[in-house]
Amino acid sequence: MSQIYIEDVDLGDDVGPLVKEPTRNQLNAFTKVWGTSVGRFTSDEVAKSEGFTGVILPGNMSMAFLGQLLTEWCGYEGKLRRLDVDFRRSVQPGDKLNCTGIITDIEVVEQENQVTLDVFIETQKGERALQGTAMVVLPSKS
Amino acid sequence: MSSIDPMDSIEFDRSIIGVVHDVGYHEVTEEQVIGFANAIGETNPLYLDKDAANDGPYGSLIAPPAYYTSIRLEPGPDPKVKFGTTGFNASQHCEFYEPMKVGDTIKAKAQVARVYAKTGRTGTLVFTVRRTTYSNQHDRVVTMVESSFVLRDMSQ
Repeated sequence: MSQIYIEDVDLGDDVGPLVKEPTRNQLNAFTKVWGTSVGRFTSDEVAKSEGFTGVILPGNMSMAFLGQLLTEWCGYEGKLRRLDVDFRRSVQPGDKLNCTGIITDIEVVEQENQVTLDVFIETQKGERALQGTAMVVLPSKS
Repeated sequence: MSSIDPMDSIEFDRSIIGVVHDVGYHEVTEEQVIGFANAIGETNPLYLDKDAANDGPYGSLIAPPAYYTSIRLEPGPDPKVKFGTTGFNASQHCEFYEPMKVGDTIKAKAQVARVYAKTGRTGTLVFTVRRTTYSNQHDRVVTMVESSFVLRDMSQ
């Protein structure tokens, strides 16, 4: 895993995309680990009765994709410190999700290199399913 | 000009706001960390490869930041908001102070931080914000999450 340093980044830099295509099996694995039996995540029939076309992913699962985007980007020595997301649209197995970020602020606070980003997940239809902000701490080369 | 606060007419249990409850313990196991990481398609060796993680910065397998979502907790306090015909998760605010590591014992505490209403073009929305803190066996808070659940009246 490569390491990115504070000296490598600039305002406006893009992060990602991390492309995720969650499968029904992954959704089942996630709900099993979570231990949920909420119908809209586990049963097409229940999901349809709630107005969806089939099962949807828990927002937590989509949020975890943004976590993956950021922790892969910041490397072993970086740290994801904060992640705030708004859930805007449902995501279903088979959707193609573009997880991306853009750097909006860089500052040193109490000797920490803090990088703030806007983060998004967009579906193959160009619809924004999640959006939010994050703060990542990056190491210095020096 | 006076304004009407929509919360004045919303019925809920105000006595529980800010009251902290213990909502459970969780042992962070290798099986669950790897199971969670695989379910979301993680490739990071720190979450998946014991040998690589042992040689890494934390000296053991760690959990991905969003792992807290897989921890089953007791329901916690319920403000019993009497409003709306449907509800969904609106947002999450998460702060990660240090990773959860395999072998950790995590203690969770939860409270209803606030209940508030907003009125817009589509009517009134009532938000319940729950704050959950996760501490490890060293009594250090490792993760704090504020989840906002919104109720709305689709019949409006």
